[in-house]
Amino acid sequence: MSASYLYPRWVRIWHWLNALLFAILIVSGGSLHFTGHPWLLDFATARPLHNITGLLLIISWVAFIIGNVMTNNDRHYRVQWRGFLGRLFTQGRYYAVGIFRNEPHPFHPSEAMKFNTLQQLSYLGVMYVLVPLLVISGAAFLLAVYLPDTIFGLGSIWVVAMLHLTVAYSLVLFVLVHLYIITTGDTVTTNLRAMLTGWHRDDQQETTK
Amino acid sequence: MLFLILLLMAAPLLAEPPAAATTNMTCLRCHGMKTLAYRHPSTGKIVDLFVEQVALSHSVHGKLACTECHDGDFAHYPHRAETQQRSLSCVKCHEQQDDATKRHYQFTTIDAEYAKSIHATSDAVEAAAFNCHSCHDPHRFHASQIGDSLATIIHNDNALCLTCHEQARLKHAWLPNRERHWETVRCLDCHTPVTDSKQPVSHHILSAADSNHDCVSCHSKNSQLLNRLYRYRAANDVASHGWLNTAIFNEAYVVGMSRSAVLDRLALVIIGLTLCVLLAHGIGRYRAQQRLLRKQQ
Repeated sequence: MSASYLYPRWVRIWHWLNALLFAILIVSGGSLHFTGHPWLLDFATARPLHNITGLLLIISWVAFIIGNVMTNNDRHYRVQWRGFLGRLFTQGRYYAVGIFRNEPHPFHPSEAMKFNTLQQLSYLGVMYVLVPLLVISGAAFLLAVYLPDTIFGLGSIWVVAMLHLTVAYSLVLFVLVHLYIITTGDTVTTNLRAMLTGWHRDDQQETTK
Repeated sequence: MLFLILLLMAAPLLAEPPAAATTNMTCLRCHGMKTLAYRHPSTGKIVDLFVEQVALSHSVHGKLACTECHDGDFAHYPHRAETQQRSLSCVKCHEQQDDATKRHYQFTTIDAEYAKSIHATSDAVEAAAFNCHSCHDPHRFHASQIGDSLATIIHNDNALCLTCHEQARLKHAWLPNRERHWETVRCLDCHTPVTDSKQPVSHHILSAADSNHDCVSCHSKNSQLLNRLYRYRAANDVASHGWLNTAIFNEAYVVGMSRSAVLDRLALVIIGLTLCVLLAHGIGRYRAQQRLLRKQQ
């Protein structure tokens, strides 16, 4: 068994704060969108809550970018194109087939690269495409008065709303899959512990290396 | 010589005609009294002649002299009948202003819209003497001010309609969340057509039958409300509270405005399917784990 320090303290703090913001935004956003349902928050509560949390998410995203630039954490987000498709296929095949045959994990996170290719691709999509689109459309919503009346011949608020909604639904999907994938470590809680302590324990590493 | 000096000294007194001494205070000496009123001889109604000084000074006409609108001969008391009966035309005066074409509201447009409104076309007895002043008291009227809360603007606006339309509450029994609507939407928002005149609100007040009963015209992607009160209001808010407060406390979200039934259904189906796949995946993993454990035993 080996252990590697994958998640420095700032990454862990950022991750859990971001997770909290996501949770609040999903609940309050759903309460605004589907208002009136008894399980949801009161509209008057959800409105400022969603707006304030949304602004905090902008700060959180900027903090993530600054953190990546200041430290060498951004190395995990640099795609290694050599053998990319092969690794993607291997990882995909593992989740689709290998995992049910108790095959060993094809990827072993290390301090040089903590993400498998599938993971890296989805985090790149989330942090560098979806979250920026989400906060830009959210900010546009809040400051709708500055928008032109129409974008591409459609009402601009409608364009902004549909973008915000589509991205929000995509991120809900991401969160669901993310929560599930956490449990696919060597044990159900291996990955969760890693994000709490920073240390990733790899039981198979030495036998398979 | 002495005569000449006396004449020169007296000249200012002689040159001042009595009418020029009429300032607003001269009028308000009487018209500022709350009790100034009389009973109209033919209708028997009390005609209120009181002008509240503070309200007047805060109104859009606060900087005008009384005599700029009331330009007849008011030197005598009681004022002469022909001076009293002269009608005042809002549109005529407002169209003569230098900045008439640059204003939020074009008075010729207002005139044209009003001519089509139920207030002008109705045969009802109550609507017989309807004119601008029925709603806009020229001695206190002012447009919504920056800094007034949206709730206050809506409340004041609706209170104006409700002073005559006493049955309104009863007639809106069909409206879901009636009180909530009345707190957040002006009567005008449903009771006027959406116009292209670029004016914040139309003066073409519709009859009850012609008014908007369609929930979708506000609770949809082309929300009328956003193009009216709220957009205008948001601009004011940014000016007075700054963009951060406007962003956090903005009141411009209309339920349903950002909703697309197709997108919602599609997203919920995909999320549902994903949950099913994840569940099946988890069960598959659990069974694989069980097989492994059995093999090891």
